Amino acid sequence: MKRLITNILTLVLCLTAFAQTPFERANEQYTQGNYDEAVELYIAQLSDTTVTLSDRSKAYVLYNLGDAYFRQNELAKSILSYERALRLAPDFDLARQNLEFAQSRIVDNIEDKSNFFLRQWINNFRHLLTTGTWMWLSIALFVLALTTLLVFFFAPSDIARKLGFHTAWVALLLSVVTLAFAARSHSEQTDRSQAIVTQGIVNVKSSPDRSGTDLFVIHEGTKVQITDRVGEWLEIHVGDNIGWLRADYVEVI
Amino acid sequence: MRHTKYLLFILAATLLSAAAYADDVTFHASAPAQVVVGTPFQLSYTVNQRGKDFRAPEIDGFDVLAGPYTSQSSSTQFINGKRTSSFQLTYTYTLMAQREGSFTIPPASITVGHESYNSNGLKITVLPPDEQPQTGGNTSQQAGQASARQGNPSQPTGSDKDIFVRTLVSKTKVYEQECIVLSYKLYTLVDVAQLTNNTKIPEFSGFVKQELDLGQVQTNLEHYDGRNYQTAVIYQTLLYPQHSGDIKIEPAAFEAIVRVRNRSQVRSIFDDFFDTYSNVSRQLGAPGVTVHVSALPSGRPAGFSGGVGQLKLNSSISQTELQTNEAVTLKIDISGTGNLKMLKTPQVEWPEGFEAYDPKVQNNFKTSAGGMSGSKSIEYLAIPRASGTYTIPSVQYSYFDPQSGTYKSLSTPEYTLTIAKGEGAAETVVQNYVDKENIKQLGQDIRHIYTGELEEAQPDKVKFGTLAFWLCYLIPLLIALTCFIILRKYFKDNADLSRSRYRKAGKVAQKRLKTARAMLAKNDRAQFYEEIERAVLTYLSDRLSIPTAELNKDNIDQLLRSRKVDERNIQQLHDLLSRTEFARYAPAQSDHDMQDVYNETADILSNLNI
Repeated sequence: MKRLITNILTLVLCLTAFAQTPFERANEQYTQGNYDEAVELYIAQLSDTTVTLSDRSKAYVLYNLGDAYFRQNELAKSILSYERALRLAPDFDLARQNLEFAQSRIVDNIEDKSNFFLRQWINNFRHLLTTGTWMWLSIALFVLALTTLLVFFFAPSDIARKLGFHTAWVALLLSVVTLAFAARSHSEQTDRSQAIVTQGIVNVKSSPDRSGTDLFVIHEGTKVQITDRVGEWLEIHVGDNIGWLRADYVEVI
Repeated sequence: MRHTKYLLFILAATLLSAAAYADDVTFHASAPAQVVVGTPFQLSYTVNQRGKDFRAPEIDGFDVLAGPYTSQSSSTQFINGKRTSSFQLTYTYTLMAQREGSFTIPPASITVGHESYNSNGLKITVLPPDEQPQTGGNTSQQAGQASARQGNPSQPTGSDKDIFVRTLVSKTKVYEQECIVLSYKLYTLVDVAQLTNNTKIPEFSGFVKQELDLGQVQTNLEHYDGRNYQTAVIYQTLLYPQHSGDIKIEPAAFEAIVRVRNRSQVRSIFDDFFDTYSNVSRQLGAPGVTVHVSALPSGRPAGFSGGVGQLKLNSSISQTELQTNEAVTLKIDISGTGNLKMLKTPQVEWPEGFEAYDPKVQNNFKTSAGGMSGSKSIEYLAIPRASGTYTIPSVQYSYFDPQSGTYKSLSTPEYTLTIAKGEGAAETVVQNYVDKENIKQLGQDIRHIYTGELEEAQPDKVKFGTLAFWLCYLIPLLIALTCFIILRKYFKDNADLSRSRYRKAGKVAQKRLKTARAMLAKNDRAQFYEEIERAVLTYLSDRLSIPTAELNKDNIDQLLRSRKVDERNIQQLHDLLSRTEFARYAPAQSDHDMQDVYNETADILSNLNI
């Protein structure tokens, strides 16, 4: 009898759970201002193994998680979530805007060396589409190039042959460029060499050692480039500065 | 006893004020509000008409030492020929309290004429006796000290326990803008002749102060520190802290003139009967206090008025149905207690088409020891210029309640006004010039969360870098290569065929010419011309790589010209073809020499350089 009741209860719970996903409940909590609960539920949604979300949907959840963290004033965690969302969906404009907004709140002002305008433009352009879209675009252009090449070889009239030739080389070039974009986005997505500082203030040392000289100080939310790892210690690059810090002060994106 | 003297004075004052009442019957009980255990005091009932059947109430907790004594007084006055007379009948009891506490003496009754009147009841607080009763010896000792200092009259007389001033603050932990009452209270065991103006009141920096008018100084008996003191509040003010933190109130200083009994060194027999007194100035210091002021909590509502206290909001509107160009008045009353002077005037959002005037504010504040109370009434006048139905939105007004420590919000109801078109006057167009401007950036914040649906991953999606991905390139490439190979083979085969025909064209033509020659020998005209024509057309077909069936004069011309064949030769070919045609279809009329035709054909075929 007892077991029956428990079973029924579990069933009811399951049904209600189906009626509303953790994501929807989290959104509700967020709207009501209960950010703690919202954060928990978003994390529950992400770690839910029964549902495999698409990359874009995962990015949505991460984005919302970032918002909830931001409302809790957890700047580092919010930046981390936005970065992760952008890893999954580089064309996710809202996440990029919120990331920039959150980054404007952090203490450290790091000069981005890759700030050369052309590079910036290309990166912005690349972020317009996802890796998958660039990939399919490249394949389509490749097929176009092949087709027009055949036209060039076998077309009876001169005009068709000329058109075929020019289309073929342009398409081939674009195919290579888009393939490069896809490859770059893909490597960005799978890159594990960047991390966000989660500790309020971190003294960066000259050597992977507790007694090393303090070189400089970085603050919560700053993005660092990991270049080496020795046990518990990471060698990081921030702007022009290089130093060592303990791995638990940062979280890899 | 000094106390008794004081009491008698108070009693006399009360009696006199009671006598000032008019001809109506007044029946009044009076006694000091505070008495000391073991000290006799007087309770008296006064009536201003001749009465009888006086019934005293049961007096619990007090011993009746004597009484009732009756005493009468009457007076008649002529002022400017007008006669006023007063009469007073007083019943006096002498009572003594048995124990300390708070006691109530119920009303007494008396019959005047045929009617019965009740006096007021009394509340008497009985204070404990002084811990160290002033025995005769003690008094003389103090007196001795006093007399010892007589040589220096500016020296304060008596100890600090005899007379002092306390600083009393209603609260020491308050919120910003919350009202506190600060009083300086004089405690004395000696006679105070007067307080001089030589006082030093601190500046109360960090506060807004509002002094209270004390009027007649009220004296009371108060048990403090084991002694019963005459007390009087000598200065009282309301203070509103203006910032948070610990605010220190500096000590104050007062000067009192104290009457001290003289004892001459040479004792005379009159000394005990006629004491002489001298006035001595005493400096009195009131200690400073520190008030802990906490800031108002965060999370101020939008329409925060700056008010701290308890407020109420009332609103009324003069009319809800009116005509254009007719004035309408909205009145908002804010009443309550707190820092009313600091209240902001609420803003009324009149709808478009209303001409609003500056509000008229009327303050009616009262200050008392309980703080500032009263009301602020604001009248908003507006004139509708356009007809229609409009809504005046609700006015939000919030304040901080220090008792509950929370912000409270008040709001007026919404008013809906129906405006009819006014008579006569044409509807005035209210022009609103709005400066165009870009979207004003008020603040920046993160974008709101994504609230759409989530979708599940497609399992069979091609991922970058996988084999499937590279196959997407490889398969089209292979298909293209295959197509290329097949097409090339096809075109090559085609080209081979036409080339062989091209090479053999001359021979084929020669063969046909041979046959024609045979026909020429046989003189078979029809056959001869047919052979000639076929020889030419087959040659052209092979050389130009187009089927014989598609050959006609026009495209022959075109193709030959495109191959830069001499115009003369083309003309020759034309002539030949038209001649053979003519000869084939009209054989009888043809008298051309077949030998000439033959020679010409052979000539053309060898000359045609294609």
